[in-house]
Amino acid sequence: MRPFRRKGGAVVARLEAAEAGVLGLLLDQLEQLLTADDVDGDPVMARLLPAGHRSDPAIAADYRDLTEAALRSGKTDDLAAVRASLPAGGGDVRLDRDQAAAWLRTTNDLRLALGERIGITEETEPPEDPAGEEGQQLAVYYWLTALQGSLVDAVAAGRR
Amino acid sequence: MAGPQAPTRAPESTVEETADLDRPWVTIVWNDPVNLMTYVTHVLRELFGYDEPTATTLMLQVHNDGKAVVSSGPRERMEHDTSRLHAYGLWATYQKDA
Repeated sequence: MRPFRRKGGAVVARLEAAEAGVLGLLLDQLEQLLTADDVDGDPVMARLLPAGHRSDPAIAADYRDLTEAALRSGKTDDLAAVRASLPAGGGDVRLDRDQAAAWLRTTNDLRLALGERIGITEETEPPEDPAGEEGQQLAVYYWLTALQGSLVDAVAAGRR
Repeated sequence: MAGPQAPTRAPESTVEETADLDRPWVTIVWNDPVNLMTYVTHVLRELFGYDEPTATTLMLQVHNDGKAVVSSGPRERMEHDTSRLHAYGLWATYQKDA
């Protein structure tokens, strides 16, 4: 990967074919989750669509009724925008402002979902052995973190 | 929050936590181990129009104290602010101000 950098009005990164493939698979998994009907009790969904109120179930239920459909469709639209701008075989990713915003939100959702699954805490560190299954997932998580981190910096640099 | 980058300059202002009767609801952002510090600052600037020092102060408050009030106002607006934060993946809730 060549991380995101600002180039004029756009932000640009380069992904290897394998990286683009992994990202595509993660997008498929996230899409399945966002479009599934029965996800009550799924901890990943609970993190992607959190309760609006901590202690009042009636307010939390109101909030969910009001916002869940729009939040799901917004996340699904972002995901589609990312997929449309992802070169399937790897290569340059060049994003305008709206595309960059979609990539920021979607890479964050991917990190939230993966982080919840593998139990990321403040103390988690990059894997010493990236070969095992747990090590692989952790390696993907840190790869996503580097990708999103570079995108945040590139987008923020355009605002100054 | 996660993040290798320390803020590049010291926060210059603080945000008032208003609790008067006209503005009885607040939106709170809670700390979590995944969201990048730089991303949280970016989202607070983007959604609320905070300048960089204000957004950084709030982000550090979330990181260090576990939570921060990021907006206050009528209930409907706090609902809306919470959903905008959820669209960006921040862990937010709203409640009547204590």
